[in-house]
Amino acid sequence: MWLRSVFLKTLRDYRVPILGWGIGMGLVVVSPMASVATFLSTPQAREQLVGLAATFAWNADVVAVDTIGGYATFKIGIFIFLIAVWPLLAASRMLRAEEDRGSLDVLLSLPRARLGVALEKLAAMWTALLAMGLLIGLLTFAGGQKFGGSFSLGDGLLFGLNLALLCAVIGGIALLISQFTQEAGPAAGSTAGLLLVFIVMDMVHRVIPNSEWISRFSPIYYYNRSKPLVPSYGTNAGAMVLLLVLALVFSAAAVWLFARRDVGGTVPLPRWLRRPAHAASRTLPVGDWSLRSVYARSLGMIAMPSVWWTLGIAGFAGWMIFVVQQMEARLSTLFASSPTVMNLIKHIGGGDASFNAGFLSAMFVLLPLFLMAFAVTQVNGWSADEQDGRLELLLATPQRRLGVLLARFAALGSATVFIGVITLLASAVAAAASGLTLDLGNLAAATLGMIPLGVLIAAVGYLAAGWLRSAADTGLLSFLLLIWFFISFIGPELKWPDATLRLSPFYYYGTPLLHGLPLVPLLGVLAVSAVALSLGALRFVRKDIGV
Amino acid sequence: MTSMIEVEKLTKSYGGKRGIAEVSFQVEEGDVFGFLGPNGAGKTTTIRLLMALLHADAGAARIAGLDCWKQSLEIKRLIGYVPGEPALDPNLTGGQILEYFANLRGSVDQAYLKRLVERFELDTSRKFRQYSTGNKRKVVLIQAFMHRPRLLILDEPTSGLDPLNQQEFDRMVLEARDEGRTIFLSSHVLSEVEKTCTTVGIIRAGRIVRIGDVAEVKAIKRYEMTITFATAIPVETFKTLDGVLEVEALNHGHGVRLAMQGSADAVVKAAARYPVVSLTSYEPSLEDIFLRYYEGDGPRSTEADHVA
Repeated sequence: MWLRSVFLKTLRDYRVPILGWGIGMGLVVVSPMASVATFLSTPQAREQLVGLAATFAWNADVVAVDTIGGYATFKIGIFIFLIAVWPLLAASRMLRAEEDRGSLDVLLSLPRARLGVALEKLAAMWTALLAMGLLIGLLTFAGGQKFGGSFSLGDGLLFGLNLALLCAVIGGIALLISQFTQEAGPAAGSTAGLLLVFIVMDMVHRVIPNSEWISRFSPIYYYNRSKPLVPSYGTNAGAMVLLLVLALVFSAAAVWLFARRDVGGTVPLPRWLRRPAHAASRTLPVGDWSLRSVYARSLGMIAMPSVWWTLGIAGFAGWMIFVVQQMEARLSTLFASSPTVMNLIKHIGGGDASFNAGFLSAMFVLLPLFLMAFAVTQVNGWSADEQDGRLELLLATPQRRLGVLLARFAALGSATVFIGVITLLASAVAAAASGLTLDLGNLAAATLGMIPLGVLIAAVGYLAAGWLRSAADTGLLSFLLLIWFFISFIGPELKWPDATLRLSPFYYYGTPLLHGLPLVPLLGVLAVSAVALSLGALRFVRKDIGV
Repeated sequence: MTSMIEVEKLTKSYGGKRGIAEVSFQVEEGDVFGFLGPNGAGKTTTIRLLMALLHADAGAARIAGLDCWKQSLEIKRLIGYVPGEPALDPNLTGGQILEYFANLRGSVDQAYLKRLVERFELDTSRKFRQYSTGNKRKVVLIQAFMHRPRLLILDEPTSGLDPLNQQEFDRMVLEARDEGRTIFLSSHVLSEVEKTCTTVGIIRAGRIVRIGDVAEVKAIKRYEMTITFATAIPVETFKTLDGVLEVEALNHGHGVRLAMQGSADAVVKAAARYPVVSLTSYEPSLEDIFLRYYEGDGPRSTEADHVA
């Protein structure tokens, strides 16, 4: 049934994202409802919540944030970039990636109009977005029911629809841009950049008086006109229709251009925008450091992702240190009304220290989680290289299999050390700039102590890659990360036995910001990593490549 | 001559699925060995076993006297390799790929490398992902030849190359042969094997069915001979002659078309008794040999005949 038409086949390709992204984003909406529900017990806590939200008013509208629906809307406003990631990627790849693979050539050799093929694919994406919106709407309604929200099922569905419409606009822009780029990557990157511009344009009117006219050029402004989860604010039908029109215009323009350009080519740009003509060259690069060895090449391969992850992780650490003093008064009042959250902070952050230090310590426990997530994405590259046959020629050169594996692993290890060191520097600079007194030894322990955990998940990934294909390996590591996260972050609150808590590597990371480096436990983590890597290496040197 | 490649009862299966079974052959140093077989016959499995990318279930494979699995590192110093489905880092340019592999191999003559780039007219500034199939193949061919290896293992090396570049490839293979290097070339382009190879091995369903010199393999071929006579002759005369498989009378006995195998001596002597106007023999091609071995069920593996 699913292979009867281009529409159904494309929809079939989207079935995992529909469920994954729809449910995932639905949970992203529901989770702030769960966290805020305990804060709304006293008028003082409500007041502090509103005050705290106001400090982020530049980012999202502060409307009825002391209600379940209002707070969820506010939180999603902050994370709107996250919501748009899937349509951005899917739309930029929708036609362009198929052209890249050559599969569109085969598809268009069938007696089907090119316009029809593009429209069927577009319709499938829109259907997927509506299905995601439906899932988000249903989960939002369920969350509201569970945590005392005052909005109806219809409001929940309108909320999902509003998100789907914004996603359709972003997708339409990505699809349009992909008509001008040779590959999907630059289209996705350009759309992401444009999305950031739209977010900033939407922010402008909240920060600068009389600048609303600028924000009106951003589709996010029109998304924010509707707040169905806040019954007193309601839905702006005109804004939603405008989003629909924008999505239609961008998508129609993209399909119209696709129907007229060369398959595999791009829409010709005006001469002044064109790149200089490519001149064929027979020269060979000389002295490129990244081509000197397998290790250097491996470093070169992960350099850019490492830089981005470093910015994110070091930026998070620095930012938390920078703002913790400003938020201290509000947060302590807020959390005082919620014993559950207070206990959670105590368990994660390290117990009996002052609130400020405990909160910061709890936030720093997230750093190894982020670093491990980075390692998971890079392990994926290793297993994908074997799966896609890219190791075949490399292993045909006089390089030992063990050497190749260790070089790749060492590059990843170097990246984790780099991220740890830069995070330490950023944290120290942020502490100095904000006047926050931190024990430098403990700060070094908190930032550099996450490195063994990154190495551990990488080693486990390399071990699993000996048997599993890329997607399964990444899935297993993500699952492990999730389980470990729950054991360490939720387990103590659920009074799980110490033996269970010890199953998570976060247990061995401890609370170094308060209590210093747990040297022996971390050496234990490194020892387990070494064992996992050794077993992975043993498997790799003996296994059939690419089978 | 010494053997460059020695394969003895090499066996590999993928779980329960067939790979190759008891494959045995030898390739002498300086030889150009053509390895023929249809898709899924086991050509690539054999090659990947030689390259130590797969571990054999049984049997042995040696290159230059070294065990292919245990001494793979030493072996790879001697080899230039072209895989059947080359995959390389899509974000590197052709030039970067060649530079990277030159660094990994060491002691690559940069001047020779540049000459190879010129010969194939490769644009080294484009990313691998942007290359056409033929240009991707050129990059992989250049990296295989650039260090002047003693042994070239080439798995369907001209797939995707245009005729001009195929000719260039043929010249490079012949040059390598003239320099005394050994070439192991898998292909299903029979004219390519016919042009460049001295020895041919045919593999089918994971088993070697024939190995021999190109000339010897040709000798087992059924071929046709057409003889035109000035007068009508008794066609039956030819039916009982050695080497004649089928006889067809032409032009009311003024000619005869013979399907033959082996020596034509008896036929020529019989024809000489009559006034011959013309005699035409159709040369066997490897295509015909190939088709013979793979038509229907083909000969059973017990027919494997190691001539070389």
